Amino acid sequence: MLHRLAAEKATGSLMRERGTLYLSDGQVIHAESPDTPGLDVLLTAGGALSPEQWGEALTEAGPQQLVGRFLVDRGHFPEGALELCHLGALYDAAFFVLGRGGGPARFRYGVAHWMGAVRPVPVDAVQRETSRRREMLNEIWPEDDTDTQPLVQTGLGLDTGLPRRQRAVAELVDGVRTAADISRALGRPAFHTLVDVRRLAAAGIVTAARRPPRAANAPTRLPETSAAPDVSLLRRIKNALEAL
Amino acid sequence: MPGIDECLLEAMKLPGARGAAVVDWTSGLALGTAGESQSGDHEATAAETAELARIAAEYQSFAPADGSDWSDDDTPVEDLIVSSRDSYHVLQFVRTTFDSSVFLYLWLGRTEGNLALARIRLREMARQLVLG
Repeated sequence: MLHRLAAEKATGSLMRERGTLYLSDGQVIHAESPDTPGLDVLLTAGGALSPEQWGEALTEAGPQQLVGRFLVDRGHFPEGALELCHLGALYDAAFFVLGRGGGPARFRYGVAHWMGAVRPVPVDAVQRETSRRREMLNEIWPEDDTDTQPLVQTGLGLDTGLPRRQRAVAELVDGVRTAADISRALGRPAFHTLVDVRRLAAAGIVTAARRPPRAANAPTRLPETSAAPDVSLLRRIKNALEAL
Repeated sequence: MPGIDECLLEAMKLPGARGAAVVDWTSGLALGTAGESQSGDHEATAAETAELARIAAEYQSFAPADGSDWSDDDTPVEDLIVSSRDSYHVLQFVRTTFDSSVFLYLWLGRTEGNLALARIRLREMARQLVLG
């Protein structure tokens, strides 16, 4: 569907269960997902922009879909900084919108976003990046329950050698917050948090608080025979051995 | 005020410049590219250089004595240089006012390239990109 919309240079919004992609002339100009902090959170969390400045930009330029332009023209933000932050947020939300099991997609022609175009991205690039990111997460740690479940520390303790960004994530793990909550608290793209959480899971420091319940009548699935080694199994064995 | 493309065009004016990119080192995403890349694929190069940047940014061996605090005006690690038989690869970390993990990447031909000049100019460009 996205390729067809790109080919016909469509403008509008593509809605799925985990968020919305906004297209203009067949290119992606914005993306939003409830799983990721919005641009407002990313820009105001670290004090780059005050909530008042953000509010003013929305009121003044929102109706004309020129909020991005407004922030630059008013001198709140250099163009480069806005592009970096906006592109980061776009790919971040697109990862969740285009994720597997995101349900059917609905496209509404003509719908524009108040942000306006900052730096449009080809549909192909967004799709390639989304699947590359999925692979990247699986290479770090193959189980995805830490992506969505509340997180808990295993009691292994925060190693003093933990990188600063990972430590910031680990310190917010309290048995209640999910990766998305932590991203919002830090004002950091959600995918960045997923990467750190998977690293912490691989190190045995953090795990999902609630394992997804297994359906009682789920049929037992026999492993398929494959020439490729089962990386997930090997990693679990390696971790178990190291924990001895 | 320069955007990503103007910044990359500026980097490509340096003597010996073959390729340049703005890359996010957590995800390995190329936020912008110019010129060529050694592997012929900017996205693959971005992912590989990001891995190198992440190690330099995160490993304690490379942190300055006063700690690896990225909220200061200067990044704890400023740049990385890889010299190969025919090239220099320079990675310049970018400090932003919002949470990010971005660096500028420049690929230079070794015979025409001027490493000292490239480092100075990249540092200036990294500032201009986010401060205008």
